[in-house]
Amino acid sequence: MRTTTLIFIFLLGYAASFAQDSTQAQLDAMKNDIASLRKPENSHFMIRGFAQFGMDASSDNVEFNMTSFNPVILWRQGDKFLFESELEMEYMSNQFSLNLGYAAMSYKVTKGLTIKVGKLLLPFGAFGEKLHPSWVNRMSEAPLGLGHDNGMLPMADLGVEIRGGIQLGKSKLCYSLYVVNGPRIKDGTMGQTEAGQLTWENANDNNKNKAIGTRISLLPLSNSSLEIGLSGYYARPGNELSPYANDSTNMDLNYKDVTALLTAIDLSFVRKIDAIKGVVDIKAQYNTTNVSDAVYLNPDDTNRHTNRYTFANNSTSYYAQLAYRPSMLENKFLKNIELTGRYSIYNTPEGSLWESKQTQFSFGVNYWFSWRTVLKIGYQSTDGAPMDMSSMSSMSSNSTMSTVNRFQIHLAMGL
Amino acid sequence: MKNKSIITSILIAILTLTVLSQSCAPSKMIAQKSGAQLWGENCIRCHNLPSPTDFNDVQWATIGLHMEDRASLTETEAEKIIDFMKSAN
Ligand code: HEC
Repeated sequence: MRTTTLIFIFLLGYAASFAQDSTQAQLDAMKNDIASLRKPENSHFMIRGFAQFGMDASSDNVEFNMTSFNPVILWRQGDKFLFESELEMEYMSNQFSLNLGYAAMSYKVTKGLTIKVGKLLLPFGAFGEKLHPSWVNRMSEAPLGLGHDNGMLPMADLGVEIRGGIQLGKSKLCYSLYVVNGPRIKDGTMGQTEAGQLTWENANDNNKNKAIGTRISLLPLSNSSLEIGLSGYYARPGNELSPYANDSTNMDLNYKDVTALLTAIDLSFVRKIDAIKGVVDIKAQYNTTNVSDAVYLNPDDTNRHTNRYTFANNSTSYYAQLAYRPSMLENKFLKNIELTGRYSIYNTPEGSLWESKQTQFSFGVNYWFSWRTVLKIGYQSTDGAPMDMSSMSSMSSNSTMSTVNRFQIHLAMGL
Repeated sequence: MKNKSIITSILIAILTLTVLSQSCAPSKMIAQKSGAQLWGENCIRCHNLPSPTDFNDVQWATIGLHMEDRASLTETEAEKIIDFMKSAN
C-alpha cells in the first residue's frame, strides 16, 4: 500500500514538473511575442479615415444624409517612405459617388525637405489640406467657396511637390512648392452658361504647360499657436487650339493665352487660455481667383454680331471662424461642449453667366465624445443663389428663394 | 487692387515678424522643449489633442510621418512628439 502511494506521489511530482516546464515555455513564447510587437516594424499598413452622417432641415425639406465616408489608407516603409491616400465616398440625393481624394508617395530626403509625387492634396490655403475631414472641421459643411462643388480653387492634382519645416530662432517657417497638371478653362462649347470657369483635377492635361503653386507659412510664436500662410498658384488653363477651329465665323476665339492667378491668405490661432478655462480656436482664409480676360459666345443670343461677351473673371471667397471649448472645467459634460460661429462669403464674376454673391452665417454647438468623435448641432443661413442649383437638393424645389435657413445635426467620427 | 495691397501688407508684416524673431539658430528654450510640451502645443492646432493611448508604437511611427507633413512640424519636433507618444501609450 505504502509503496503504491509513494509511486503515485512520485508520478504526480514528475508530471507537475513537466507542467511547470510547459507553462514556463508558454510564458517565454508570450514574452517573445510581446517583445516583437514592441520592436519598431519596418513596414506598416493602416486604414484610418472619417465619416459623417446626419440630417439637414430647411423650411421645405428634411433629409438624412451621409455627407462623407472617406477611408484614409497609409503604408509606411522604414522611417522615410510613406504612401498616403484618401477615397472620398459620398451618398447624397440618391447618388453614390467615389472619388480619389489624394494618393501620394512621399520620401523624407533630409531635415526640412520631403519630396512628394502622385495625386497631391494641395496646400492652397489651409482648409483643403489641413481642415477638411469631418471630425476636424468644426462645422457640418465646408465654408462657401471651399467645398468640392465649386470651380474656384485647386484641392488636389497630379504632380510633384517639395515641402518642409524649418526652425528660425523662436519662429518656424514651413514651405511647399509644387508643379501639377493644372486646371482647364470651360470655353462654353459644353455647358455654355459656365464659360470662364476653371475645372480641376485633370488626369489628362490639355496643354504643354504645367501649373505651379506654393504655400509659405510662418508660425511666429514659440508655442506655435499662430500660423499665417500665404499661397500662390499660376496656370495657363487653355487649349493650344481654338475650340472653334472648324467654325469660320468664330475661329478667332482662342483661349491658349488665358492665365489664371490665384492667391490665398490663411490664419490659424489656437490657444488654451487659463483665464477663460478653455481653448480658443480661430481660423480664417481669404481666396482670390483671377482669370485673364477672354471673349466667349453667348448661347442666348443668335445674332452673330452681338453674341460675344466678356467680363472681368475674378472670384473671391473668405471665411472666419471662432470656436471655444471650456476644456479646463471640472464638469464632465460642460468640458466637452464647444461653441462655434462662422461667417463666409463667395462672389463669382459679375457679368458672367454664373454670377452669384453668397453670404453665409452659421453657428453651432458641438459635443465631443472623444478627441475625434463629435456631435454637431448647427443653424446655417445662406443669402444669395448658389452657383449650381442642382447641387443643393433642398433648394431645387424653390429656386426663387434667396435666403435658405437650415438646421443641421451631424455625427462625425475620425476612424 | 485692394486684394494686392492687403497681400503686400501682410507679406511685409510677416517679413518684419521673421526679422524680429531673434537669432536664426534655434534658441535654447526651443531646443529644451520636451515631446510632451510640443504635443500639447502642436497637436491641438487642427483637431483635439490626440491621446497617446489610442495607438501602439508601430502605428505612432506611421502617424508621425503623416502628421509631420500636415501639421507644419520640423523634423526635430515630429521625432520628439512621436517618442513621447510611444512612451506614454
Ligand atoms: C495642421 C493641422 C493638423 C495638425 C497641427 C495635426 N493634425 Fe493630426 N490630422 C490632421 C488631419 C487633416 C487629419 C486627417 C487625415 C488626413 O489628412 O488625411 C489628421 C489625422 C490624425 C490622426 C488619425 C490618423 C491619421 O494619420 O490620419 C492622428 C492620430 C493624428 N492626426 C495625430 C496628430 C498628432 C499626434 C499631431 C501633433 C503632432 C497632429 N495630429 C497635428 C490635421 C492635423
